[in-house]
Amino acid sequence: MTYRVPVRDAGLIAAVRAVVQRRYRDVHAVRNLTFQIAPGQVVGFLGRNGAGKTTTMKILAGILHPTSGRVRVLGQIPWRRQNQYLREIALIRGSQPIGDAPELTVLDSFRYQQVLYDIAEPHFKRNLAELSALLDLDRVLQRQVRALSLGERMRAGLALALVYRPKILFLDEPTIGLDVSAAKTVRTFIGEYAAQTGATVLLTSHSMTDVESLCPRLILVDDGAIAFDGRRNELSSAFAPTKLVRVSVTDDNPDLTPYGDVLRRDENHWLLRVDRDAVPEATSRILSRFAVADLSVEEPSLEDVIDQAYHRLRQVKDAG
Amino acid sequence: MRRILRLLRLEIWRQIIGWSGAWWFLITLIIGQAVAPLLGLFVWLHVPGAQARLGSYYLAVICVASMTASFENHTFALSIYSGTVAAALLRPQPPVIGPLGENLAIRFWMFLLGIPMVALVGLSVDATFSPLPVLAALPALALAAALRFLFVWTLAMAAFWTERVHAVVAFGGVLIGLLGGSAAPNALLPDPLRAIAQALPFRSMLGFPAELAAGTVTPAGTAAGYAISVGWTAALGCCAVGAWRLGIRRYTTVGA
Repeated sequence: MTYRVPVRDAGLIAAVRAVVQRRYRDVHAVRNLTFQIAPGQVVGFLGRNGAGKTTTMKILAGILHPTSGRVRVLGQIPWRRQNQYLREIALIRGSQPIGDAPELTVLDSFRYQQVLYDIAEPHFKRNLAELSALLDLDRVLQRQVRALSLGERMRAGLALALVYRPKILFLDEPTIGLDVSAAKTVRTFIGEYAAQTGATVLLTSHSMTDVESLCPRLILVDDGAIAFDGRRNELSSAFAPTKLVRVSVTDDNPDLTPYGDVLRRDENHWLLRVDRDAVPEATSRILSRFAVADLSVEEPSLEDVIDQAYHRLRQVKDAG
Repeated sequence: MRRILRLLRLEIWRQIIGWSGAWWFLITLIIGQAVAPLLGLFVWLHVPGAQARLGSYYLAVICVASMTASFENHTFALSIYSGTVAAALLRPQPPVIGPLGENLAIRFWMFLLGIPMVALVGLSVDATFSPLPVLAALPALALAAALRFLFVWTLAMAAFWTERVHAVVAFGGVLIGLLGGSAAPNALLPDPLRAIAQALPFRSMLGFPAELAAGTVTPAGTAAGYAISVGWTAALGCCAVGAWRLGIRRYTTVGA
């Protein structure tokens, strides 16, 4: 996906010159992006700001028409936006969980969805009851959309998008701006919906809690291209060359500094960062030389791994 | 077709509720639509030898203006600027339903809230109407409503290319005011401006239904006026479809 954007130098003369002599630059928002998602998978689609996540999401939903390449979702070309396709997908953006018409009540909005998606009355009633119970919507159904808090708006937006039971959910930052409790409710609900209905979910989020709790598979994009595509636990070995070794010893004045970088020490409790390959030897030597009360080897947190991945990718880009 | 009508009815209902909280803004829109015809009325009432039925004509112009006013530069163009048009694209319905529904909802409110003003002007100028000319004007009023929506919607689609859409639509508004019958009734325009104004779509958007209602058009003029209205409706319909295809192609490839 390439955008052609106007460019000009700074200053008044350049601005006047740009009126008659326009210059453009191509911006490659997405390129060489190849992946497949099987039905029922829940996939985290990660990357820094400007990496191409939302552009990809918009292409897959049908809002953007890519300049080149081939895209099929449910066997259809998304940007044709055929009714049959639009009835099977939902794009939910945390920044705009509910569209226009803020004067309507939430129930009015549900009725609108019912007509728009041709939902038969018995199915509508059943779906609405289920969604209301899961997302605690009973108290907001009679209220105008404009009077809802952000958390209520997100819950209502999710329910409105799911009342017609879409097979594919494109979730763009669904918990952005939500408090801890509201974010947890939304997260739990998305997981349950995917498990119950077998829906395919593509999630972009900067919240690692969202990603860790929902996505067994991660796709990491950088500069419009895929940098990693695999299981979540494989990401650490790909981008984090170290592990965390947590040790508790009973010796007096033990010195564990030779076995790794000391991240934290609290009396006899140590937290070391050790090269992934050196972990077996380091733990073996610690066990043999000290009176170890407890020892555990941990993967770094997903947040740290992603952070390291971003740094590594930036270094590669700067070098090359 | 039944589904489309149902969706349109639903959209109108949704937008009527949506605009119910903006009655003060709607009143300013009504006054805005009435100012130019009222000015024309006051000027022409003091011109010796002007038509006898000017009061009725200008009252009809105010009614037509209120019932056909289109504000897609505020509504549809804003959805492009704010990005909410993207959500509309993903709804399984024809894309015209949204803008058309909002257009009709605004007209509903303008008609309702404009009744006191129309009554006041009517009493002031001693306007009178006969049933038959008013009935003959109703199809022309429907065509004027369609024409003005298609015209303004097409101009508002300039928002796909520029952020200065208000200037584009304002220019269109000036043409409607000057050549449509608001500044002067078509019959009072000098030649060849009168002939040009008769051939362009602007008279069909405003002055033609008002002339019919006031009973100032000959049978031959009525037939010619309807032919011009129908022709321009078809032409502007094609323009709107073409502009939509080009605009949406740009939006979906450039992201607007």
